[in-house]
Amino acid sequence: MILSPLLLLGPIAAAPAAPVQGDLFVIKAPRVELGDGEVMEHAVILVEDGEIVTMGQDLPIERGIPVIELEEGQVVMPGLVNPYSRVGMTGGGYNDSRPQVMASAELYPSAAYEAFLENGVTTVGQYPAGQGIPGQAVAIRPEGDTAGEMIVEDGVYLKIVMRNNSSAKRNLRDGFKKADDHLKKVEKEREKFDKAQAKAKSDKKSKSKSKATFVPPPADPRVQPFFDLREGKLRALVSIRNAASYEHLVDAIGDEEFDWSLRIPLTRDIDVFHVADKVGERGCFVLMEPLITLVPGTLRQRNLPAEFERAGANLVLLPRTDTKAGFESFLEDVGVMIGAGLDRKAAVRAITHNPATFMGLGDRLGSLSEGKRANLLIFSGDPFQPDTKLDAVMLDGKFVSGDMDQ
Amino acid sequence: MHLRTNQQRRTSRPTWLLMAASLFLAPAVMANVTIDDDPAEEAEVEEDKEEILALVGGEIHTGLGGVLRDATLLVREGKIAAFGYDVDVPEDAEVVDVSGLRIYPGLIAVGSFGLFGSSGNLDDSVDPYNQNMTLALAAGITTAVDGNSVAKLKRGHVDGLVVSSSAFESLSYSNGNPQGQLKVENDLKGAADYIRAYRAWEQEKKSNKEAKEPSKKGVDQKALRILRGEIRPRFNADERTDLLEIAQLAQRFGFRPIINGCREGWTVADELGRAGATAIVTPRTRRPKDESLLREGGSSIENASTLYKHGVNVVVVPASRGISLGGIVGQDLLHLPVEAGFAIRGGLPELAGLRSITIEAARVLGVDYRIGSIELGKDADLIVTDGDLLHYQTFVQWAIVDGEIVYDKQAEMFFAHIRPRPETALAPAERMDSGEEAPADAPEVEPAEDAGEEPVIEEPVIEESGGEEPEANEDPEESEVPAESEESENTEQTAGSSGA
Repeated sequence: MILSPLLLLGPIAAAPAAPVQGDLFVIKAPRVELGDGEVMEHAVILVEDGEIVTMGQDLPIERGIPVIELEEGQVVMPGLVNPYSRVGMTGGGYNDSRPQVMASAELYPSAAYEAFLENGVTTVGQYPAGQGIPGQAVAIRPEGDTAGEMIVEDGVYLKIVMRNNSSAKRNLRDGFKKADDHLKKVEKEREKFDKAQAKAKSDKKSKSKSKATFVPPPADPRVQPFFDLREGKLRALVSIRNAASYEHLVDAIGDEEFDWSLRIPLTRDIDVFHVADKVGERGCFVLMEPLITLVPGTLRQRNLPAEFERAGANLVLLPRTDTKAGFESFLEDVGVMIGAGLDRKAAVRAITHNPATFMGLGDRLGSLSEGKRANLLIFSGDPFQPDTKLDAVMLDGKFVSGDMDQ
Repeated sequence: MHLRTNQQRRTSRPTWLLMAASLFLAPAVMANVTIDDDPAEEAEVEEDKEEILALVGGEIHTGLGGVLRDATLLVREGKIAAFGYDVDVPEDAEVVDVSGLRIYPGLIAVGSFGLFGSSGNLDDSVDPYNQNMTLALAAGITTAVDGNSVAKLKRGHVDGLVVSSSAFESLSYSNGNPQGQLKVENDLKGAADYIRAYRAWEQEKKSNKEAKEPSKKGVDQKALRILRGEIRPRFNADERTDLLEIAQLAQRFGFRPIINGCREGWTVADELGRAGATAIVTPRTRRPKDESLLREGGSSIENASTLYKHGVNVVVVPASRGISLGGIVGQDLLHLPVEAGFAIRGGLPELAGLRSITIEAARVLGVDYRIGSIELGKDADLIVTDGDLLHYQTFVQWAIVDGEIVYDKQAEMFFAHIRPRPETALAPAERMDSGEEAPADAPEVEPAEDAGEEPVIEEPVIEESGGEEPEANEDPEESEVPAESEESENTEQTAGSSGA
């Protein structure tokens, strides 16, 4: 490991043209946003094979390791995580329950994904299109020649669309009901098997050994995701239309327990402030755009992201449109929300650590610390200031965008 | 105010648990406390605690004629548990001081649209936060007919709204459609014959076991239910001739019709009264008489009162069954009490005016066993007003459905700024007319109160009484509350609670 020699070393030696030691280098940054809301000054980040090996304040650097020394004023931030996008995907959807559909099947590397890296998004969650229960999302890195190279993890969440009607509620209830039905079926099969087993034993003792184990009938692929939800292997993202849909969602879920979060679109005026406290009490993730909305039918402005964050929800901010233009103005939009009362630390979390954790990748990326992927952005200043430039984007330890060289 | 009380309740819960933990089996329960954010657990705690609401000091109008001044009304689990003068208020009750205010049964609109966001299966499609529902509650309406369902305006809830799924059984019997008339008559006649034959068989059965039960074949089920008194048919009729024929039909077959419209009812009130009719009227209807006819006709402001004097039960409904915020306003559901007030202008007794939008409405819908008046055991669907319900100046201060405060004038943006509720919740001694200044700051009230009641002034209207005092010291938010209300700016509070 690299760790041990590093600790032994003495004075700083920044040797630009040092012998190459595999994929090993150091970034010296005057200021690093860690992603969890905290900031580290005078940080030294040691990267090997695309992973942050060690990181700390004013760490000594071993002679011979290439150092990327950032200028005063430059800020390092974890690569942005956008867990909810369909850029690069074209397929249409249906309005029914297809929880077994994987968005990864639609994945195809194309130039469209460059828009992510150019704007600092290093991890993307791509969801399947459609209403009802359209299927499961895939987490990708927007770089690679094949779909396989892009996929970070498949099946990161199940998308569910909740509306104020019986069919939307039925999709959810029926899913769990079918899971129950399957369990009953398995139980019946088991009883049958046990009986046959007992019979076989009493008939002939020699044959019973051969079919000693019971093989449960496989679950319908449409049912399996609901088992996964119950067992905590899969999390759900429920898209709601307004406060009423939240109530209908809670009603449809009933006593069922599984990990669910909310997608609340703020692209039109919405009355979800009615349920902000209830959502906050649950403490689930809430995916919304950095937009100021109006109380429907009035001119009263509300900063719903800030309200939900204060209420206790884990905020995740998404570009206000799922297009290149949305990505380009994203950080500026988030800055506006900070100006309008959103906690700055919460805002940083909402674009890095929270979305990564939401997709179950929080231990790998979304923040900067030992063991995390070296997905990081280098800004010319405060990332939320409109005149700040994104100088470079690093994905898995390699500069993939910007005008900095390794 | 209501929102704040909710918050108190929320914040108080962990404290309550902690106390229980330290007193009893400490380690085991402590474990429970730590997983307090589990929603299921939270809900359980909520359910374990009995919800008690006490409206103290109000003038209770039962809707059946009784008026109890300075009385207390107690709600337990959504039902009216007690009301009167010697009512013990339990310590854990949520107390609302309504002294100087009036308590009425919640109003019932026998026709509406758009209050529930959408129609269809309300339990699956209602928008319990939609603006029209809030506005209807502000008008005092707690139950409304949507489609053919009778449903409660349970703001924030998507279940338990529907009281009855068959509000009306319509029957068409109009002079303009003689064939339809004939069919209705034949159906009723067939049903009447069947009932007679059935009764005869019932008698004969006792002596002769061989007797054959009369066949139900060809008997109209609806007509049968009408004649058995299980349902009351509703007719749409305005013209005198139609009304007369309905009255005659009803008397001939012995059922009590509900007549929607009934514009010229005043000309045949006697006949309608004898037929035991209930009329659903709109007192502000304007229609001149047909001058080609010699007889009386057209609309009359005295319609409701004339019908009432002849024994016809009167239900009032506005001309528009929705909430209209544009166009010609003032005749929509927001003005249901005003509409009833116009019937009073035409001579209807005040009590009949109140009944026309409460218990009589509940009766025509067949839900009077649950709602429509303040009686023990009935659903706690109540409104608290700052004056006579039927006065145009009166505002609904709180609306309560199933024992839960679902509308608070000061907490909603619509009317909070108009004559804000005084900090003390005491209504102004004299009614204000336009031009006078509202006593928003009401400084003159404070010296009148004795010092001991200071907390009541600070946390004026709703307070959690008893048992929960200690938490006030622990919760930093709690200490902010008095500071905020010391500023005593009603308008500011409004802005705060709706979180502008």
